[in-house]
Order: sequence, then C-alpha cells, then structure tokens
Amino acid sequence: MRIEDVVCPFCGCLCDDLVVTVDGTTVTSVENGCTLATEKFLGHERLPHPIRRRNGSWEKTSYDDAIRKTAEILLEAERPLLYGWSGTFVEAQTIGVHLAELLGAVIDNTSTVCHGPSIMAIQEVGHPGCTLGQVKNRADVIVYWGANPIEAHPRHMSRYTTFADGFFVKSAFRERKVIVVDIRETDSSEVADEFVKVTPGGDYAVLSALRMIVRGRGDLVPGRVSGVTREQLFRVAEICLSARFGAIFFGLGLTMSRGKYKNIRNAIELTEELNRHTKFTISPMRGHWNVYGSNEVFTWITGYPYAVDFSRGIAFYNPGETTSVDILRRKECDACLVVSSDPGAHFPRACAEHLASIPTVQIDPHVNATTHLSRIQIPVAVTGIDAEGTAYRMDGVPIRTRRLFSTGYPDDVAVLERIYALAKEAKG
Amino acid sequence: MKFLMTTGRTIRQGSSVERKNSPEYIGEASTVRMNPVDMFELLVEEGNAVRTTGPGGSVVMRVRPDPGLPRGLVFVCLGPYANILVGSRTHGTGMPDFKTIPVDIEPTGDAPLPLSALMREYGGVPYED
Repeated sequence: MRIEDVVCPFCGCLCDDLVVTVDGTTVTSVENGCTLATEKFLGHERLPHPIRRRNGSWEKTSYDDAIRKTAEILLEAERPLLYGWSGTFVEAQTIGVHLAELLGAVIDNTSTVCHGPSIMAIQEVGHPGCTLGQVKNRADVIVYWGANPIEAHPRHMSRYTTFADGFFVKSAFRERKVIVVDIRETDSSEVADEFVKVTPGGDYAVLSALRMIVRGRGDLVPGRVSGVTREQLFRVAEICLSARFGAIFFGLGLTMSRGKYKNIRNAIELTEELNRHTKFTISPMRGHWNVYGSNEVFTWITGYPYAVDFSRGIAFYNPGETTSVDILRRKECDACLVVSSDPGAHFPRACAEHLASIPTVQIDPHVNATTHLSRIQIPVAVTGIDAEGTAYRMDGVPIRTRRLFSTGYPDDVAVLERIYALAKEAKG
Repeated sequence: MKFLMTTGRTIRQGSSVERKNSPEYIGEASTVRMNPVDMFELLVEEGNAVRTTGPGGSVVMRVRPDPGLPRGLVFVCLGPYANILVGSRTHGTGMPDFKTIPVDIEPTGDAPLPLSALMREYGGVPYED
C-alpha cells in the first residue's frame, strides 16, 4: 500500500510530504525523505517485549508487571525525575506533566541539553521569529549560525531556504544569499555565499561586532574579531542590511558554547538592530521532531517550558537548579523515568553513572545506551509509524503525525495512562 | 597533545541512532576527526586508536582526518563516547560544556570499547539484543 503525505518523526523539520509504501507491518520504501527519514522508516530493530533486570541479568516480563513495578518505583521515590519527552507526541507529554504533578516530581525535556539556553534568552528579550513558510516565500538572506543543516536537518535547505523557490523568491539559488557562521568547515559551509569562520568560543564577540556595525559604530571594530576580519564583518553586515527579508537560524554551536544563553540573547538583539533597517527574523534549529511540542505542553500546563519542579506542590523552574544534568550531578534524584530519549548516551558521564545507581525505567521502542543503565524498559509503538499523535514543528506549527499500520505495541499514552492510574489510586 | 574538542550531529550518527549497539553507530560515535597536520604531528594514521582525556574522564577512539577542521580543534559526533569527556557543571544554565572541551590526545594500543561495555563501566548491566 502506498501512503502519501506521511509526516517524518525524526527532526524538527517534520517534513510532511513523504510517500511511504508498506507491506503489512513492514515499510518497504520511502520517497522524498532524507537519509535520516529513510533509516527511521525502514528500521526494524525494536525491543520485542518489556524487560526487567533481576539479580544482575535481564529477563522478559509482561506489560502488566513492568507498568506495576514502574508505578511502585515512582511512588517509593522521594525525588523522582521524569526526563525525555521530545520523541513522543503531545498527548503523551500532557500525561507526563500531570504524572509529575501527582508525584511531586521534577519533569524535564531534552531541550535542557539542546535549546534550553535559547528559551532562557527568549525569556529575557523575546523572540522575533516566523514560520518556515514565511522564510521560504520571502527571505532573500539566510544565516545559519552554529548549525550544520545538511547533516542535522538534511531537507531544511531544500524545503525552506537555499534551494527552495518561494512566492516572492522565484529562483532561490540565484536570489538568496546564504551566510554560514561556524568554527569549522562543514557540508553546509561549502554551499554558502559567505562562510564566516569564528575561533571556538568567539561567537559572542562576533555578534557584538556586527551589532556595532549595524548601529553605525563600525569605526570601533578592530581589525580582527575572534578570527574574523573587519572586512568580512562589514561585508556580512552589508548583506544583512540590504536584505528585503532576512532569516537567522541558529544551532547548538551557540547554545552549548561559552556564553550559552548570552550568545542567543546577543543574536536576538542583533536581529532587533537589523529590524530598524529591514525585516529580519531569528529561529532555533530544533533537533528532536517534537521537542518544541514538549516546550509547548509544559508551558501551557505549568507556565514553564522545561525543568519544572513540583516538589513544592506548585510548579517551580530554575535552570541550573531544576535542570536534569544538575539534579543528576548532585545525585539528588532517587528514581528516574526516561521517556523517548537517551540520557545514557547524551548526558555527561557523571550523570549517566547516577542513572545506573538508581532505579531507572525507560519507555522507548529501541534498545539504546540508557537500556543498559535501566532496571525496566517498556517498548512502545513508534509515533508516526505505528502510533499517531500531534507534534510541533521547529517553527511552532502543530502537525498531526499518521499511523501507517497497527502493531501489537501500545503507544506512549496507553502506557503512561496506566502508570498514572496506579499512582492516582495509591495517592488517593 | 592538547586540543579543543567540539561535538555535533553527523549524518552517519543520525542514520544509526536507533541502532546504538550496531557497529555503524559505535564506529561513528567513537571516531575523533582531526586536521591531517595534527595527525602527522601526533604520529597517527586514519583508523589508529587514540586515548582522549577530558574534564569528565578518558576514552579510546579511532582517528579520522578532516581537513575542514582548523589545527588544534577536533570533532566527535554527539554520543556516549564524547560525553565521557564532558564535565557535568552547567554554570547555572542547565547546559554542560558540550563544545570547546579541552582534551589531551595520545596514541594508544587499546581499542575502543563497545557501547555495552562502556555502560557496564558506568555501573549498568548490558542488555544484548
């Protein structure tokens, strides 16, 4: 069977034009998708059944046993951490937040080690953003700062920017200028009209120099700023100032490097300066397909986008204190529920070691690094393949993913609802 | 030799991210990319093992040349091998220093560990699928 307009549940682009052919419960071909999408749909390595660790080895168990034991672990804990959430759909995230409130737990999503600093900056100075449709149809200058879309968001350039013709940009390849700012040469920098190579950790200074030029105080800019020549800085500023519509996309090269959220704040303030002359927007290149959704869900229920601590009986948020990496480094949590993410692979060693020392339960379709650190793993259906639900694209547009076929796996909602019901029953 | 290490996504890492026990994923995640002139100075060739030590710990990886990297900067794709080296302090932001990590790299006769063995070192129990 050939299914059209399939949504890809891999990266924040949420491409919705895939054509997938299925034979029973097997995907046999994927059209229009990038390498990441193709691997995602064609992959068939799933954990076949729930597993539980007993006496130093793994054994098969039932969903009933795994869910009951998970609820017991969470109820016995004094400071449980519920982490992940960006790889599942918003309906499941909603149950997660309610479960955290019921348990008095900390709930955090993967933006804590991704675009959390971007959110902190946006809380300080706002977000002059727009949808990807606006960029596609209007933008004649694109800036990728600390991002490598060709490897991380492979169709971003072809669907929305460099190679995408739009309503007001009839010939994108000729009419759009593309600037890439990075500390190293990448596949993305090779297709740029202007590649700005910054010395590691020098982004803040380069952003400040560009702000000075845009403000008319370029006379104060020295001959070289963090490895970038004065001439190139003026050239880049001129390209931006002469844009009819410019769009900055930034990646983890800004959020994870020295300065962290202050880098983003400076980039947003550069965007603000440019808006005194022309139209400019700025947007984060969100990684996981529904990490934006987790920020939306957390915010509409608790008022905060990630790192929400319910231990006081009310929602409390303080990055650096209630964020997962800090809680794990301090060895503060005494149980952890990981949903659709892999902190074993993506957290610093000290944090992963603490996950191994406490009862950690994982809800995830695949065996990953966290599996080895957990006590229980409950496999679920893969959203967008054998489960459906709503996700938010990197620009905040909600898109409904589709179920291509049904398998015997329950989806995240089915498992989380049962854990919630058991916790509710125990709490009264 | 002293280097700065940075991390990021690669297409190979993304393609095999849901098969973390596979040779494809482990091979990519345990590869350190380096400027060829730095490799010459370190007396290593493509595929040689190097021990990389950072603020969070030490791990064996295999080296691959990347002329797009400036001298003194090495790249490892995000994942468990890179994160052994990352310190867990977040400077009040919740975000560890995943980029520009000071590391020391030396040739070694050891081989990179498989992911399950790495997780055993963390205190986990490997699950073989």
